[in-house]
Amino acid sequence: MVRMKKAVIIVAIMAIAVSFSFAEDANQLLKTVDEKLMPESYAAYRRLINEEPNGKKKEYIFFTVKKGKDKVAMLYLSPASEKGRATLRLGDNMWLYIPNVGKPIRITSLQSVVGGVFNNADILRLDFSVEYNATILEQNQTGYVLNLKAKNKTVAYDKLKMWVDKKTLLVTKIECYSASDMLIKTLDFKEIKNFGNGVISPSIVETYSPLYKGYRSTMIYSEIKPRKFPDEVFTLNYIPKLGDLR
Amino acid sequence: MMKLWFMVAFIFCHCGILFAQDYSFEIPQKEAKEERLELGGYLDGKYSVFHSRQSSPFYQLQFFDQGNLSQYLTQYMLELYLNGDYQTKDIGFHLKTYSTYDNDSAADFHLLEGYGNFNLSLSSFVQAGKRMYNWGKGYAFNPVGYVNPFKDPENPELEQAGIMSLSFEAIKNFNSNALKTTALTVIVVPPAEKINNRYAEIKNTDIAGKIYSLLWNIDVDVMGYYSKVNPIRFGADFSTNIRENIEAHGEMSYSKDATKNIIINKKPATMVQDAYSYLLGFRYLNRWNTTIIAEYYHNGIGLDKAEYTEYIDFLQHSIDSANQSAIKQALGYSQGYFKGVTLMQDYLYLKINQPEPFNWLYFTPSVFVIYNLKDRSLLLATPLSYKPFTNSEFIFWPTFLIGSDGTEFGNKQFQQRLELRMQTYF
Repeated sequence: MVRMKKAVIIVAIMAIAVSFSFAEDANQLLKTVDEKLMPESYAAYRRLINEEPNGKKKEYIFFTVKKGKDKVAMLYLSPASEKGRATLRLGDNMWLYIPNVGKPIRITSLQSVVGGVFNNADILRLDFSVEYNATILEQNQTGYVLNLKAKNKTVAYDKLKMWVDKKTLLVTKIECYSASDMLIKTLDFKEIKNFGNGVISPSIVETYSPLYKGYRSTMIYSEIKPRKFPDEVFTLNYIPKLGDLR
Repeated sequence: MMKLWFMVAFIFCHCGILFAQDYSFEIPQKEAKEERLELGGYLDGKYSVFHSRQSSPFYQLQFFDQGNLSQYLTQYMLELYLNGDYQTKDIGFHLKTYSTYDNDSAADFHLLEGYGNFNLSLSSFVQAGKRMYNWGKGYAFNPVGYVNPFKDPENPELEQAGIMSLSFEAIKNFNSNALKTTALTVIVVPPAEKINNRYAEIKNTDIAGKIYSLLWNIDVDVMGYYSKVNPIRFGADFSTNIRENIEAHGEMSYSKDATKNIIINKKPATMVQDAYSYLLGFRYLNRWNTTIIAEYYHNGIGLDKAEYTEYIDFLQHSIDSANQSAIKQALGYSQGYFKGVTLMQDYLYLKINQPEPFNWLYFTPSVFVIYNLKDRSLLLATPLSYKPFTNSEFIFWPTFLIGSDGTEFGNKQFQQRLELRMQTYF
């Protein structure tokens, strides 16, 4: 009987150890996916197209800077009605600066400063490994399917299902789920492009949602350049001056 | 056969070109990296219809020599906001102007901002000139807005005029989980009172200071305003995200020897007292993309119910006297010392905004209420915004001022106002 108990304990410990090692592998894989997708610090130009159910389109052009895993800032360059607006994200904190108002106001990750299917968390995306813990759901000859669980309640999506290409370790598709397992939106990563300076990543991210039938939003990267910034750039006092970095 | 294949290939290629999405785009002003000149602004055409409250003392003062007017008045106005920014790597100049045009003999020009900036480094800056500041975390009210322009809670996002000032800002970041950022702002405000319209005494210069910290994911500001002419004030504010869709904010201000304009025995007087003002609010976003902003505001130097009644009695007394100089004096006091939408002490502000309800594209209805907790009168507005084209917006903005006789909103000179606005950005 004592032997039996010992055997059960050993098997349980082994099972826990194996599951930890798989989780560690998955989290390490997620970090690699982050590194492959974008340089750690960069400046980029993006165009966002919101397509409405009636076929009309609204477009925005942004200048974006990012440092490390959790600092992102973005300046609206067009259209004229939005020009000069800027957003800042530091970890879980997000702010929107409107030139007329003259001060940054706190916004939440589920809001959308641009309308359409992308919300603030998508547009000011942090590294996935900062917000999620990963486990490997499936793997085959061509790729992995990761299950990502939010580390805390301020993260916009409770769960992500991520498809990763095994050869390039680039993400190809993400499904975003709520805590009640409802599919909120799907992101497709397309058109892998060599941006220079060793940056090879998808240049187009398309998103659509069962909650916004007929809407489709597309983010197009035109330029991604690895670039270093001091931390002080990612502060409320610097937001109105983001254009000076261009 | 070969020809047929060429034809098929040719058609296929052209179809590919026809159906391929064009993802290329031009980056605005990308080539001008060393110096950049940007011009922009917007034109606001505004047509308003006012339903007068002819029994209101404010109405009677405003139109005392105009005879019998109809109950409905209109106003048509063009407002032009023109902005220019010139920026090199370290030096910049910024201009914001506001012009109104009613008719050829009633056009006006205002300089909202005109200041130069010098970047000492990426983390310290100096600015000099006329500049707009906006302190405080409140949406409709800012008890700690010591250097802010006069805020209109009916339209808190309206561009406003700045103040002549010299300011210095410095930012410091830390590698700490508790304190991530701190920033210092010091503003020197030259005296407003001038000798011979030109000079001022240096001892009357005011100094305002603010220290911002991002502390455990909470924005915290501590600020003060020192003056020999104006009240000395200290305050603090905070803002934080409680959940992924709820933000909470608050402000608290203490004014030493604050002046309060009141009426005693039918005569204007000034009362000096220490006062506390505060605000508490939240912003909530629900799953249907509805944003709700709610705020409670206490104005420590606002009028209480008895003081407000005294003020209204004073205005009515001046009107009843039928003495032109007394009426003009009362109008002057009303516009100079009792200006603003909210004169009393305790208010609730509630705004609900719903972008594109029922899939009505480009249409955003909202409703907001400013409720006077002391006399239970209120201002209710339902702005409806429609943006069918890029860089243009149409706004249909009805406002209702509701309250019984003697209450703040029940006493305003108009009982309803309807605005139709067309804004074009460039």
